[in-house]
Amino acid sequence: MKVSLFLTCLADVVYPASVGKSTVEILERLGCEVDFPKKQTCCGQPAFNSGFHRESRDVAKHMIKTFEEAEYVVSPSGSCVTMLHEYSKLFSEDPEWQERAKALSDKSFELTQFIVDVLKVDDVGAEFHGNVTYHTSCHMTRLLKVKEAPMKLLENVKGLKFTELPNKQQCCGFGGTFSVKMVPISEQMVNEKVEHIEETDAEVLIGADLGCLMNIGGRIERQGKPIKVMHIAEVLNSQA
Amino acid sequence: MGVKIGEGKFFERVDKGINDKFMRKAVKEAQTRLEGRKTQTTEEMGNWEDWRDLSEEIRQHTLENLDYYLDQFVENVAKQGGHVFFAEDAAEANEYITSVVKKKEAKNIIKSKSMVTEEISMNEALEELGCNVVESDLGEWILQLDDHDPPSHIVVPALHKNKEQIRDTFRDKRKYDKSSDPNELAQFAREQLRKDFLSAEVGITGCNFAVAESGTVSLVTNEGNARMATTLPKTQITVMGMERIVPTWKELDILVSMLCRSAVGQKLTSYITGLTATKEEGDVDGPEEFHVVIVDNGRSKILGTQFQSALQCIRCAACINVCPVYRHVGGHSYGSIYPGPIGAVLTPLLEGYDDHKELPYASTLCAACTDACPVKIPLHELLVEHRRVIVEQSGKSSFGEKLAMKGYAYAASNPSVYKIGSSSAPSFIGHVAKGEDGHGKGPGPVKLWTDIRDLPEPTGDTFRKWYVNREKGGGKS
Amino acid sequence: MTTGTIHNKDKFLRKIADQLGRKRRTEKVELPKWSKLPQYEVFDGLSKDELLDQFVLQCENIHTNVVVTTQAELKEMFPKIINDLGGKSIVHWKDPRFDEYGLREALENQKKSGVSVHEWNKDLGKRNIEKAEQANIGITFSDVTLAESGTCVLHSDNGKGRSVSLLPEKYLAIIPKSTLVPRMTQATDKIHEIAQKNGRMPSCINFISGPSNSADIELRLVVGVHGPVKATYIVIDDK
Repeated sequence: MKVSLFLTCLADVVYPASVGKSTVEILERLGCEVDFPKKQTCCGQPAFNSGFHRESRDVAKHMIKTFEEAEYVVSPSGSCVTMLHEYSKLFSEDPEWQERAKALSDKSFELTQFIVDVLKVDDVGAEFHGNVTYHTSCHMTRLLKVKEAPMKLLENVKGLKFTELPNKQQCCGFGGTFSVKMVPISEQMVNEKVEHIEETDAEVLIGADLGCLMNIGGRIERQGKPIKVMHIAEVLNSQA
Repeated sequence: MGVKIGEGKFFERVDKGINDKFMRKAVKEAQTRLEGRKTQTTEEMGNWEDWRDLSEEIRQHTLENLDYYLDQFVENVAKQGGHVFFAEDAAEANEYITSVVKKKEAKNIIKSKSMVTEEISMNEALEELGCNVVESDLGEWILQLDDHDPPSHIVVPALHKNKEQIRDTFRDKRKYDKSSDPNELAQFAREQLRKDFLSAEVGITGCNFAVAESGTVSLVTNEGNARMATTLPKTQITVMGMERIVPTWKELDILVSMLCRSAVGQKLTSYITGLTATKEEGDVDGPEEFHVVIVDNGRSKILGTQFQSALQCIRCAACINVCPVYRHVGGHSYGSIYPGPIGAVLTPLLEGYDDHKELPYASTLCAACTDACPVKIPLHELLVEHRRVIVEQSGKSSFGEKLAMKGYAYAASNPSVYKIGSSSAPSFIGHVAKGEDGHGKGPGPVKLWTDIRDLPEPTGDTFRKWYVNREKGGGKS
Repeated sequence: MTTGTIHNKDKFLRKIADQLGRKRRTEKVELPKWSKLPQYEVFDGLSKDELLDQFVLQCENIHTNVVVTTQAELKEMFPKIINDLGGKSIVHWKDPRFDEYGLREALENQKKSGVSVHEWNKDLGKRNIEKAEQANIGITFSDVTLAESGTCVLHSDNGKGRSVSLLPEKYLAIIPKSTLVPRMTQATDKIHEIAQKNGRMPSCINFISGPSNSADIELRLVVGVHGPVKATYIVIDDK
């Protein structure tokens, strides 16, 4: 199966190689042929959510073209894949582009969703030792409606001691530009999230969206708490 | 009171909210309890999504044919002896209401809970006339006694107050001398308000849903105050937002069921009352005269726009009860009698952006509200739509943001530019992340980010570098 | 009855139609065929006995005491229940069902034992309201009874004053088992029929589910606010 990786700008620009590398390695281990279209940029969400829809249309067109040849597009982010699914709405007055947008959204999947729903794999043969908890990111859960997939995969990771995060449905306070536009509110939200993470006694917080992880992880670092933040791809790529 | 409440700028109100420890604890507990109860009653239905689909269809159909159903409703009201007044705005509504009260030479007015009367500042208009207007919903009465403290929640208006504060208010204003036990406080309110119910000449209510086919006004309460206000006074005035209508009793069934479950997690509240015009000949209790005032006040200009679905709202507050922003800042921060996600959508539509331009941004777009809404208003999408209007039409977005977004979009649609940006980003972030005091304080958004959080440390190669190396090596790492 | 007045209708409705980008809808609008009708699935196919079980279960949630009895036993049960509710004074509807279910005699007996009993009497006007306001117990029949929500549906008329179920400290509803239906849907379907016949609607239809209550203070439930502080239901097994 041929898969094109949509890395997302955070994994591309802000974070080191690990998340993308893990994604590629897991998919290859599961028998996929992975390529990385180098012209890819960002899903356009920062502009879209800020109301700059003309601008996000330009970004969307670029992304649609970039992935036009792909058989599947897989990304280690529920939020960015959700944005790809929004593209067709952006072109409600442009049937040609809307068609092309729809084609992209139909073949785009979040990583765990792709593994469980498309590859039909529940166990990726990973091993990871430690007390962990998992942050369910909002867009992935509510908009992309991917709830079970990450749980199924984590259940089968050897050595993992999992505790459910209290109030897991609650947003961490990232919200893209919200995190810098509404700092005092975002701060309260992420503080509460960190409190709940601490209640689980987890050494590692796992998540499937780097936006949330950057927010929660950044707050944890600032508070000097001994909790490590990992992307689910990194955990699923861990071997004994 | 008007839609707008409170003083100060948005961030000042937010700051006050965040520092109000009791309020925040109360809101957290309320959200947990209300949301928990709602989830329980909706889960046991087993087909909640079907109910939501049906409710959405009903609301959409009704709005699409609003003129028809309003026409049918008012003709049925009049046919059965009730009077109808269509009010364009607050002034017209108040003028009619005060004229009825004057004609009746009424001095004592009892009210049951109604958001639309808050919206049009009806109490103030009646008080100017010299009337004694008494709120009879327990929460609203508490706020009224406490020098008209604004509501902070549309279903539980005094949510921000604790029982000790309420006891003190009762003591200072009504010589209450018992404890802060909610049972004793409520008992006291019962005794005090009984007298007001019995002496009132006019009862004023809101309207949860009007039924077009029969000219009926329905009221949903637990306390029984709306029943009191419509059983004892000789004149009843009902004030309703023009969108609060259903075609027939069959649709009333659905929406009342959704309202009760979504608002308070009850299958039905203690009292659902359907009132049709005046009492019948030979009836002893009930009003001899019935007036319904149908208020536009900015609603019609929402019709036919991309925001029309906001008018589907049945005022259940389910979105407020799940909102993580409301959770931390409380109702007063929104500066509107309609707080939370629906408030952030509705307030700028009713009042314009000038005084409320921050509201569409006071959301992480987490979509908890959209998921919770029993009539499927896409609340988070409407917030984005507001942002789009602010950017594209009102020109109210800041120059800095415009520049940033245009720059971003240019880079994100031109890979060669993006590449330059992305390859320099790690060293830039490295610089900021390591900043002089150990906590980076960079420029613009980066500074705002690092005010409260660290940035990820750039350790090791970027993905692109790793990928290119691997391609060169030909093998798999 | 004189017809009421309507002010500003045409201007107001025209504006709505304009906003919706069309002419005013004056011809009959048909309701669409809804894609889902989940309300009819609730307790679908349940017998009256099964509905009664559900009803009793729900009454626990709404702080309401339920007594299930037969018509034969009712005469014995009635004074006990009145006594448990503190006796003193009763106000009740003028309703032929009191005779039908043999309660007339029971009420007479109450009177004999010193309890003040007032039957709603339209000729006495406001005096009825005073009586209700002072009464300890208000008694009505249930016209339709909803199993799902533990609700009595009351249609007002001359003999069936609104105050009886509202002003007394305690509320007692007499519920013939035959009035049980699954949920609000069946009650509103019937009311819909009344409306369609185009006659005068009952001026007040109440759906009563237990005693009045409030959670306005710190979200703590207080039972008994403006309406009755206690509600009791007697279900009569009338087949």
